[in-house]
Amino acid sequence: MDIPGKISLTEWSERFEKIPDEEIIKYRYYKNKDWGRYLQPPATFYIYGARELKRLKLDNSFAFLRMWGFVFNESERLFRARQVGKKVIAVSGDLGTVPVIILAFPDAVPFYPECIWWTPFFNESKVLLEEAHHHGAPEAACFSKAAIGAFSKMAYFPKPDLFFASTGASCDDYSAALQIIEDLGFEIEWLEIPYRKGPDYPERAIGYLSTEYRRVYERMADLVGKTGDLSSSIRRANRLRGMVLEIKRMVRDAPVAPILALEMMVVEFGNLYGYGDFDEWIDIVDMIYGTVKERVESGIGVLARDAVPIAWITPSADPYLLNLVEDLNLRVVETEYVINQAMGLIDDDDPFQALARSFMQASLIGSTREQVARIRRSAAAGKIKGAIITTMIGASHCAMETGLIEYWLKGIPVLTIDVPAPFGITRQIKTRLEAFAETIRAR
Amino acid sequence: MRFDILTPRERFGLLVIDELPDRCNIIPLITSHAATVADIPLRRYYTEGQAMAEAQIIAFERYGHDALSIFSEVGIIAEAIGSVFDYPEDDLPVIRLPILTKVGIEDLKVPDPKRDGRLPIYLEAIKYAYNSLGDRVPILAYVPAPFTTGVMLSDPNQFLIDTIRNPDRIHRIMELGLKAAKGFCYEIINTGGLPILVDPLASASVISPKAYKEFALPYEQRLIDYLHRYDLDIILHICGETGPIIDLMLDSHADLLSVDRIDPEFLYEKCHDRIRIIGNLDTSLVGFGAREEVIKRTAEMVARLKMAKKGYVAATGCEVPIRADPGNVEVFIQIAREVGWFWD
Repeated sequence: MDIPGKISLTEWSERFEKIPDEEIIKYRYYKNKDWGRYLQPPATFYIYGARELKRLKLDNSFAFLRMWGFVFNESERLFRARQVGKKVIAVSGDLGTVPVIILAFPDAVPFYPECIWWTPFFNESKVLLEEAHHHGAPEAACFSKAAIGAFSKMAYFPKPDLFFASTGASCDDYSAALQIIEDLGFEIEWLEIPYRKGPDYPERAIGYLSTEYRRVYERMADLVGKTGDLSSSIRRANRLRGMVLEIKRMVRDAPVAPILALEMMVVEFGNLYGYGDFDEWIDIVDMIYGTVKERVESGIGVLARDAVPIAWITPSADPYLLNLVEDLNLRVVETEYVINQAMGLIDDDDPFQALARSFMQASLIGSTREQVARIRRSAAAGKIKGAIITTMIGASHCAMETGLIEYWLKGIPVLTIDVPAPFGITRQIKTRLEAFAETIRAR
Repeated sequence: MRFDILTPRERFGLLVIDELPDRCNIIPLITSHAATVADIPLRRYYTEGQAMAEAQIIAFERYGHDALSIFSEVGIIAEAIGSVFDYPEDDLPVIRLPILTKVGIEDLKVPDPKRDGRLPIYLEAIKYAYNSLGDRVPILAYVPAPFTTGVMLSDPNQFLIDTIRNPDRIHRIMELGLKAAKGFCYEIINTGGLPILVDPLASASVISPKAYKEFALPYEQRLIDYLHRYDLDIILHICGETGPIIDLMLDSHADLLSVDRIDPEFLYEKCHDRIRIIGNLDTSLVGFGAREEVIKRTAEMVARLKMAKKGYVAATGCEVPIRADPGNVEVFIQIAREVGWFWD
């Protein structure tokens, strides 16, 4: 086993030179021999515009090389899916549940258009954001508005065969973006998300949500002309979720950080839909799981042993921030990336009700107190020494909720960062991070 | 007048995954002509990386084509190995001393692209261009293929004679050229450029198809295979006469073929369902021809070749002449944009 470490784009290229051809051609999405290859080093994606890769430090293991190649390949994969006759289904807003229904159908590929919010940051580019502004999105709005630009241009994913989007108890910046996308001429099947009043939500919410999910299922069955195997897709989702839960546990409990925060974030978000090839993603996460386990059992990791544990609340649109924090000898051991509904195991009883109950764990539909309860418990147990919240100026729930999160985390140092536009991380932000790191190290 | 929907990078990205972009990519080979557009001395263009990149950016801003072309002439790898060039103020470098006229092959070393000759200047140009426009525009970095480098290392007559009398010597030179090209490509990749292979001295204007097959093609294939490890979409450009070797070029493993003197209809029939086509308006016509003729022939060419099943890039057959009439270049791009439109 290699000594774990953080390496740059050029260092990855040096390592890639030594990988034999047979290994490179082994990994393919959709098992396609003509164009399904995805094992490429960061330099490949750098050439095709992912400029931030030159600044990022990445995990040096083969498992994560494979992961990055797969994740950066997603746009191509979605186009290829359509070329070979698969149904490409856009899903927005629910973050993790509807894709389980879609995956019940053969040759159906779900994806989340709003997850393209990372693209402007990886590309250090305002192309998609400017396009969104051109269509009426305000400058002060969540970076998920990049999806507007992507729908307008149709160069990042194909026109979806169906588009399911959640409404009701969802983020209003996201809702505004979806309305603009609908105005661009994309037909959306809306489904209503109920509000959750505490952990003891009313049973009628489950009944209602089950009905909504049945509607999704029936719409999919109409589209593909076949019934789906929901029990099977729940089993596959649970297999993935089980591995990710275990990886998260190891990351939290290991004396040395076995992987970096950026890679962990990508793994967590993979639970939503598997980046366009769910089964291949399961295989990749299985390899990552093996790498993490091996490192933990060997007592080795990617950060210093004395790195200070912290929590991260709401995902950062700019991946570079996660690197910066680790450069200051902090270590992310807990996360609350507003995708709690995609992290827990789904029951194996009535599938629609099970999915509904799974969704009712969602981060965004309950109270702030509930949302950060896990972080509070970790703080109380001494497992984290501070928390970072990343927000966006103008993004409604970010702006409204930050103060509440800080309130419920009182007693531990909290740093809130408004993530600036692409390529906008300033010296001032770095200084604030340094001050935060000094503060918690001194406690 | 139609307005572009996509950026050049988005447009090229769709082309290479077999999707139809808003319009065909338009990449006339605007290389040293950029110095004319930017109004800088040619010698500055090919001896200062930032100047080369800035000239390319100025030309891009004027013309609105779909890629920057970091290139001046095909001797750069040979120079880095040891051939000596003169640098005229207002012309491209001229070879003064091919290194193999002074020393043996065994005395030559694979160059270090970060140190030798003007290769660092090219890397600097790629870096500057990439940092300036890399999110919106592909940065094409032209790399002389081993055969062309081999000729530039040698007395050209002796080199061509040796293809018949001493083929082993030629293969040894090719191996060196291949290693040098791989090393240069590796650095280009890590700087953000997309390598495009140029092998003009392997065209049928210079050597026979038989010699191309024996001495040029195998090394083009091996270089492209190396670049395919990175899953890059590789352009092979051969200017001059390409009709007699088009079948062999199709076997080069390239993903896009850029060709020069070949009838568009013949080109279409040979290639359209096998490989993406780049080409091929007569470069002297674009440089110095009558405006009406540029309009007519561009429209005819694009109307035919845009139907290519595997995809098409409207281009000139060879480099736009250094002192080409900018009005002709503009009209070429304008007509290609209008006729090459795909989306409703």
